[in-house]
Amino acid sequence: MIVALSCSSRKDAVTVTEHPSIPLDNEDDSLLFEKLQEHVLAHYPNPERKGCPDPSVLKNLIENPSDVTLAQLNDLHIFKCAECTRLLMELREKKKHTQASE
Amino acid sequence: MRLPTPADLCWNVKCSPDQEWIERTLRIAVENVWPRALEAAHSRNGHGSHVVEIVESAIEHAVCRLKTGDPLGPEPVTQLLQRLVLEEVRRRRRANSRMVFVGSSEELPPKPVRNPQIQIDCALDLEIILQGEHPDVRLALLLRYSRFRWSEIAAALGTTEAAVRIRCKRAIERIREKQEGEQHES
Repeated sequence: MIVALSCSSRKDAVTVTEHPSIPLDNEDDSLLFEKLQEHVLAHYPNPERKGCPDPSVLKNLIENPSDVTLAQLNDLHIFKCAECTRLLMELREKKKHTQASE
Repeated sequence: MRLPTPADLCWNVKCSPDQEWIERTLRIAVENVWPRALEAAHSRNGHGSHVVEIVESAIEHAVCRLKTGDPLGPEPVTQLLQRLVLEEVRRRRRANSRMVFVGSSEELPPKPVRNPQIQIDCALDLEIILQGEHPDVRLALLLRYSRFRWSEIAAALGTTEAAVRIRCKRAIERIREKQEGEQHES
């Protein structure tokens, strides 16, 4: 197995991978998902929170992702819900701050 | 095409401790079958780009069969996997041959028309793109959407980062194409 090395200085870079066919850094797909979030926030308002999973499920998704199932998340609902997306982003930011302060 | 590691292709094989032989022999079988699978995919479909999907599907079927039988050695497992790979290649070829072209390109509008229902279309497209994927892939993409790193996603799914990224690569490419299409339209 060839081990590929990347000297990228970009902050989100993955420097070592065992699989050369995968892009060496994931900045590109970070951008893709950021754009997707922006799109969902702009185009899928859901003030009545129709079909939204319970906020505790989203909190669990951030805290213990291995404990959450697709059924609990109402499958792909989050990809079409600005409210869930916003809450997820907030929870993720909170977790980052908590981890940084620890 | 480079050979993915057997661990990458067998990432979804989960067996009880008394059936660990399945994963062990399958890894050997994958190594043995890969060149033939690549060749078969290429000769049947004209390209080998779907060989990973084909082998993964064959592995899933092989696991189902092996779980119900007595332990086997690498050789019979290789033969079984090879047969399943060829069956999957034939199945895909039959499915492709059933596609029918309706009308001609001349009947298409001269340039893309701004669709007032684009928001709904987008939602439908995303669902269509991802509904065909394995539930673990959909969950991985939801986690990525939630700003988890690939290493964290791999840990949550109990696999390696390389394996989960390979598994999600196709879906991400489709999403990227869709997003680029949206940008061109707007």
